[in-house]
Amino acid sequence: MTRNAMIDGWYPVSLASQLDAHGRSTALMGEPIEVRRGEDGNAKVTGGNGRALPACIRYGHVWSSLGDPQKPLFAIPEADQPGRRLVDVGVVRVRCSPLRAVENFLDIAHFPFVHTDILGAEPHTEVQNYKVEIREDEDEVWATQVRFYQPQAAKSAEGGITTEYMYRVPAPTCSILYKTCPPRPGEWDVITLFVQPLAEDLCDVWPWMALFDDETPTTDLIHFQQTIFVQDRSILENQIPGLLPLDPGMEIPTRADLTSVAYRRWLKRHGYTYGAQLVAQ
Amino acid sequence: MPAQSPAGPVALWRSRSGRAAAFADRCPHRGMRLSHGFVRGETLSCIYHGWSYAQAGNCLRIPAHPALTPPDTIRVATQHVEDGGGIIWISVGEPAAGPPRFEGLAPLRSMVVEAGVVALEAAAGTKAVGGLLDYTHDDRAVRLLLASEGQARTLMHVLVDEDSNPDERIAASRAAEALRRAAEDIARGGIAR
Amino acid sequence: MKLYDYVLSPSCYKARLMAALAGVKLDIRPVDFHPGAEHRGPELMALNPAGSIPILEDGDLVLTESSAMLVYLAAQAAPQWLGSDTAGEAARVQQWLSFSHRLTASLGAARLHEMLLRPGNIDALQGQGTAALRELEAGLVEQHIRGQRFLALDRPTVADIACFPYVALAPDGGVSLDPYPAIRLWSRAIRGLDGFIEMPGIHRLHELKPEPVPELGET
Repeated sequence: MTRNAMIDGWYPVSLASQLDAHGRSTALMGEPIEVRRGEDGNAKVTGGNGRALPACIRYGHVWSSLGDPQKPLFAIPEADQPGRRLVDVGVVRVRCSPLRAVENFLDIAHFPFVHTDILGAEPHTEVQNYKVEIREDEDEVWATQVRFYQPQAAKSAEGGITTEYMYRVPAPTCSILYKTCPPRPGEWDVITLFVQPLAEDLCDVWPWMALFDDETPTTDLIHFQQTIFVQDRSILENQIPGLLPLDPGMEIPTRADLTSVAYRRWLKRHGYTYGAQLVAQ
Repeated sequence: MPAQSPAGPVALWRSRSGRAAAFADRCPHRGMRLSHGFVRGETLSCIYHGWSYAQAGNCLRIPAHPALTPPDTIRVATQHVEDGGGIIWISVGEPAAGPPRFEGLAPLRSMVVEAGVVALEAAAGTKAVGGLLDYTHDDRAVRLLLASEGQARTLMHVLVDEDSNPDERIAASRAAEALRRAAEDIARGGIAR
Repeated sequence: MKLYDYVLSPSCYKARLMAALAGVKLDIRPVDFHPGAEHRGPELMALNPAGSIPILEDGDLVLTESSAMLVYLAAQAAPQWLGSDTAGEAARVQQWLSFSHRLTASLGAARLHEMLLRPGNIDALQGQGTAALRELEAGLVEQHIRGQRFLALDRPTVADIACFPYVALAPDGGVSLDPYPAIRLWSRAIRGLDGFIEMPGIHRLHELKPEPVPELGET
């Protein structure tokens, strides 16, 4: 087996707020790992054979890698903006490919059917054209000018509005969503999906948010995001094949799926294939 | 509803007008199981993105692109379905003849048994003939129509005399439960040995 | 009436669903069960020393068992949901109310293990869950033979609401519902009731709405 290009990436392995000296036993790409707080207060991560793994704390989570990360963890400049509330949503385990979990997060066309009356509703099912690019300088997938009808934009809102979204994929198992921020026109709410690959067909998903919202209780924000993600979970556990097919022919994309097309192309180009299927079977 | 066929998992569904159809249980768009979908009128729609399919398997509607007429190349594989005597039959390819009829029998329920046909035969003490197993329990005869789902699993349809009264039907259902327990005990013993 | 509620908890959902079906308005107090473990904190432990949710509070009445909540909500606003007063039928309601705790202990614990990483012997939990589903399936088949579509009667009762959530969410814990046609029909009958509400993991029954006329070119 060739060395997988994803070995050198950073992955979330714990909530920073739940880091303790007792430790958390988990796994990264098939290898058992141990995450705990060291005596110096920093995160310590050890691999299956007891070797020390790289570790850092950022965006509410502990991050680690089985390999030798060539780059620091990707930047989310908004995370340091004053006035934002940072919300730990907590882990949800899904029996699916980590790449399928990210691809679903990039999709809006399922909103009326899976997140009915929350993020979408019939008959407002049309996906307008939007822009997708692979930004070569940053080496990231971006989708911008994504607009979709949202029936319940906020708890107080009566009726629906058209919400604008931007999607960004800075790492194969992480995606950042920028979403219209009703209290602060001109700013974007940040909602992320950080995925920890446990195995090619099993992942722990750690959603996280950085929002401009001074009113909604934190628990309501957590419950909203958990609702959305658990609605997706039963889809993710029932896709066939379980691994994400990177070769064309296995699945049929349309214009609405251009973000997914770019994501798959980007994964293939880099050899980010842990959780992917290369040859149509 | 989900079902199994020799050609793999199928989504079995009945349209509003009552016609049954069997699709390969996978939406060609994103691979979601179509048996999780929903039926409106004469179409089956995928729960994920609402793509809807006619009984012939061709895609009729892609909600993300309401103005688009889906190309005929977007279709799901279908299997031949016969609906007769309260039993739905699937055939892979064109069948030479219609499905068997069981005169005087009425279907009661379908059960999954975690055991092969051999274990069911051992538990019943008789051999299946033409897929039908006769089982006598407490002097009551029950007929079981067996469909293998691999070596270790069988879909068992319980058939009773069509004149049976409710008490007799409940007794037949309980007899089938007893047979399943016995067959699964035998199958587990087989693995242990 | 105040419900201490967690949106992903099937037991909390029982109370929300019964209230919706009975037309009772609940004052929802969200509890940060996961990741915050607020149900183990001092405020909620004072209310329920067992450290579980849901908790239903109405004046000085504090209920911590979901079956009791269903009975209370039904008795207040929709007594037909309590079942009937013939001995056999009343007993059947109680039989399935008690049975529902086995679903919580098996399918519910398997779901917590598979979804929220709670400890447990997953093989044993899934095995117990499958055994319970088979019992429910057999019970529904017998009801169907008697000409009744629900667990205790030909109309839904608190027994159906007590059993429905953990059954519908069994796949969350890795237990398939594919082998149970009678459970599928019963589940669809419940999901089609007037006033039915979903919880995450139970999708909208889109067939209840006609095919919409698409709105083209909206912005």
